[in-house]
Amino acid sequence: MVDITDTLDCTGEVCPYPDVKSKRKVKKMNPGEVLEVLVDYPLSAERIPETMESLGHEVLSVDKTGTSAWKILIQIK
Amino acid sequence: MEFWYALVVGLIIGAIFGFILQRGRFCMNSAFRDIILLKEYKLAKAVLVSLAVLMVGFAIFAFGDVIELAPKAFKPWAAIVGGLVFGIGMVLAAGCASGTTYRVGEGMVGSLVAGIGLTFGAVITAGGFLSGAKAYLQDELVGDVTPSGSPIIMLIVGIVGLALMFFFWGWPAIKRKRDANEPLIKTDNLVEQTFKKAYPWWVTGILIGIILTAGYVASNGVVGITGGWMNIRGWFMSYEDPASSVMWSGFIIFGIIIGAFVSAYIGGEFKLRVPKDGLTLLKQLLGGILMGFGAVTAMGCNVTNILGGVPQLSIHSIVTGVFIVLGCWVAAYVLFMWRKD
Repeated sequence: MVDITDTLDCTGEVCPYPDVKSKRKVKKMNPGEVLEVLVDYPLSAERIPETMESLGHEVLSVDKTGTSAWKILIQIK
Repeated sequence: MEFWYALVVGLIIGAIFGFILQRGRFCMNSAFRDIILLKEYKLAKAVLVSLAVLMVGFAIFAFGDVIELAPKAFKPWAAIVGGLVFGIGMVLAAGCASGTTYRVGEGMVGSLVAGIGLTFGAVITAGGFLSGAKAYLQDELVGDVTPSGSPIIMLIVGIVGLALMFFFWGWPAIKRKRDANEPLIKTDNLVEQTFKKAYPWWVTGILIGIILTAGYVASNGVVGITGGWMNIRGWFMSYEDPASSVMWSGFIIFGIIIGAFVSAYIGGEFKLRVPKDGLTLLKQLLGGILMGFGAVTAMGCNVTNILGGVPQLSIHSIVTGVFIVLGCWVAAYVLFMWRKD
């Protein structure tokens, strides 16, 4: 079980806000911290993990928590 | 065209198109915007693949005299201004004309609002108080260039394009998989991959190319989105008797929404979603109106111009396409990259 440092709730948000907000958020966080991102938009659920990995962060998990709802955990590197 | 032909064939082609759009998350707004915003190129690659497939597809059917090519006459100012306004509009609306339409089927209320804005913007530009501006841009500021659709050149460009993309993008990926001893195509869960999972970009591109070629063959004309929304509005307001008016493009729109709904529902991705703040809805409405103005002025939205005109090598559509991309980049920069916080 990981300790979640911060949660970013992007439910109801349309593309590209979840992507941009999570990108801005991780910039302000410190190495080792864990960000939880909640999205309900399919493309963002696929995009955010890819973007985070290309930024060098570790994607701990992507869970589908319900109908069109995902929880993404990212560890800042 | 017979009413029943338009109803049945329009709905079927629209539904398959909508299904592919939803599975492939195919939206030109995301495709162009994310080139600069996220340095993410998959959807842009899907657009290029679909263009090459469409060139080959249109050329083959033109050779066989099944379809007549109809590249648009070049109206420079209409293409430049219409394209720019459309590109800015789609960033605000959070979806191009086709992206907005398929997301209605996913249950996104904001996209329905954008679709209504698109219709409104198109109607006031076609015949309302912005029609003067449109006429000025289309007719006053130009000398038309007569277009020449040449199937041979389309065929050559399409095949060379496909070969280059295979060489630079496809082959390295195949080699990588072979080195890692992974199967090239996983066939064990083909049904699930077809109906439940997101498609890889190249599959999306090929399928979009095939279905829009089918759409051209079925109606001897390019598939359009904006015209379809206007068609539906006319139908609802019953200027014409619904049964006597042939609503080909309107049925395509209904088909897209139905197809995207089915796709999203099977994939567990259908949900009614409303943006949390009203400002987002207002932005999407405004974006839709801008897209409507841009589409009618440039004589086509992103589907008619980029996926219909560019494969026919219409100069008008190519210029419109370039300015849609530029408008999209300007708006994306101002909205999302200006503030560095």
